[in-house]
Amino acid sequence: MHAPVVVRNLRKIFYDEGRGEVKAVDSVSFECHEGEVFGLLGANGAGKTTTLRMLSTILTPTSGTATIMGHDVVSSAQGVRKNLGFYSATTALYPRLTTRETIDFFARINQYPADLVEQRVEYLIDRFGLAKYADARIEKLSSGMKQKVSVARTIAHNPSILIFDEPTVGLDVLNALDVQETISELRSEGKTIIFSTHIMSEAQRLCDRIAIIHGGHILACDTLSGLRDTTQQHYLEDIFVLYVKAGQETV
Amino acid sequence: MNFKDIRVLYWREIRSALRDRTIVTNSILLPILLYPTIMWLVYTGITFVSGQNEELKSRIMLKEIPAAHEILKKEFEGDKSIVLVHSPDPAADLRNATLDAIVEFVPPKSIQAIDNDFATRISYDESRDASNRARSRAGQKISRYRENYLERQALKLGLTRAQFQNFSIDERDVSTGREVSAFVIVLPIFFIIMLAVGGMHPAIDSTAGERENSTWETVMTTATSRANVLVAKYLYVATMSFTAGFLNLFAMIFCMGTLLAPLFGNNSSLRIPIQSSPVVLIGAVLLALFVAAGMMILASFARNYKEGQSMISPFYIALIVPVMFLQTPGLEFTPRIALIPVANVMMMIRDAFQGVYHWRSIGITLAVETACVVLALRVAMLVIQHEDFMMGSYSGGFGKFVKERWATKRHKDHKNPL
Repeated sequence: MHAPVVVRNLRKIFYDEGRGEVKAVDSVSFECHEGEVFGLLGANGAGKTTTLRMLSTILTPTSGTATIMGHDVVSSAQGVRKNLGFYSATTALYPRLTTRETIDFFARINQYPADLVEQRVEYLIDRFGLAKYADARIEKLSSGMKQKVSVARTIAHNPSILIFDEPTVGLDVLNALDVQETISELRSEGKTIIFSTHIMSEAQRLCDRIAIIHGGHILACDTLSGLRDTTQQHYLEDIFVLYVKAGQETV
Repeated sequence: MNFKDIRVLYWREIRSALRDRTIVTNSILLPILLYPTIMWLVYTGITFVSGQNEELKSRIMLKEIPAAHEILKKEFEGDKSIVLVHSPDPAADLRNATLDAIVEFVPPKSIQAIDNDFATRISYDESRDASNRARSRAGQKISRYRENYLERQALKLGLTRAQFQNFSIDERDVSTGREVSAFVIVLPIFFIIMLAVGGMHPAIDSTAGERENSTWETVMTTATSRANVLVAKYLYVATMSFTAGFLNLFAMIFCMGTLLAPLFGNNSSLRIPIQSSPVVLIGAVLLALFVAAGMMILASFARNYKEGQSMISPFYIALIVPVMFLQTPGLEFTPRIALIPVANVMMMIRDAFQGVYHWRSIGITLAVETACVVLALRVAMLVIQHEDFMMGSYSGGFGKFVKERWATKRHKDHKNPL
């Protein structure tokens, strides 16, 4: 049986007027198993977002392959997006729609069965405690509420795979904890989650397996205990620094 | 293409737009209120100015009025807008603006055929409004008096008015309301301006606005094709543009029929024939589709609202320039003119307002406009496939994009000459 997410030698090269060719992601390979939170841990500019954008079909890989639930990200982009929920800290909502309209729109456009949409919308409003704000426009909501609506719209079509690209960036501690809790709940529902972050404590708390990414390369990929055994370091921060330094020396 | 998805995306755009104050103002309220507001302002202005004029009195001096025409002097005295003055040096007073006009009674130039015939000379200062007004008032009063006087004299000689006025001008209008006033010729210009204004903000809102709100990435990760997203956005912009144009047309037809025509004695040239509606509607749809495509292509390169506005402005001006042709006197809607986009639709609409239909030129116009819309959509599809553009990281406008594409193509051709 295939893993829900399979990435093989994925590369992305951008052309920059000043710098010429820039390898944002270079030969990245990994697999995500069903019902796990797979963490992509890396500093800013490591290649996390580019990798996730290729997986969510926003960007086309320069080479390599990636499949989501058996759909290729290049040849079957719509199939990928149907099975995928993409959440990013920079991913905003339509300010002039209400909470209910937002969830309804994303459920319908992501091919959730039309006759079940209303039911799904009510369920999500209830689940995230949005009943009081269901008919309020997004622009009137607090950032915490917006965050909840954003998560609700990500899972509006009940996808099997969820991508959370640095979801807690810019959030206060309480809202960040809320997002983390939601991710844990979604894992317990059997969702496969790819979670990118540069915050060690988050990765340590949430991820079943962690891939350390730097300079577009994956330097290590294992469970936290596996990484500890290999490096003989206890703290994830130390493990991360060790791999990044070793990676830089290799380069 | 999935029409269900396009419908969902389209209604999302429309719903958002109808909650945006700028879009509602520019695409709905402005087109409706423009004409009634302009007409109200003009009417108020005219009333105000004529009211002001009524209150101003003209200082007139009557010089050497014959005894037989003393009654005319009484008529002058009875007019509240005229003050009769006497001056020892009227010429100097006229120059110094203490007198507005001098009316002198002089012997008639021809041999007197009737008793006490007279002629007048009105001296006034052309450079002063008050003096011009006094001349007009005095002239009207004397003309009216002289006409009545001549009629009375004719009757004494046994002649009726019809007999002594045997030279007359009889005007007959055979146009059956087809000829139009200059105002109707200007209407298509307002129409295209409204179409452009109506489409501008939605075009920016659905492209640069999405980037500014960071919702672009959100919509690109939904399970629908990019073509569906593009078509829905395009239809939304075209709808808003068409709505603005249609409402503007409706408002102008309503204003001209119900406000202007009665003011000008139910002048039929101020009424737009209802038979022209199909041609005008087709023209409006074609123009809206063309305007929407052009504006969306340009606005989609912008990263924020401000950039969007500056990128669209040249297109806006380019739309207006061909329409200026319309004002050229005697310009006919020939097949050659029908080859010029935008101007051809305007000519088609202008002729339709007059009840004239050049079917060959109309056919060419439809073909040219459809070709323009298809071409614009092809360009839009090309643009949307560009990754930098998709990510909003493309720094440059449409011109730079075309240049780069051209350079890439030439580079490829050079590498693979066969």
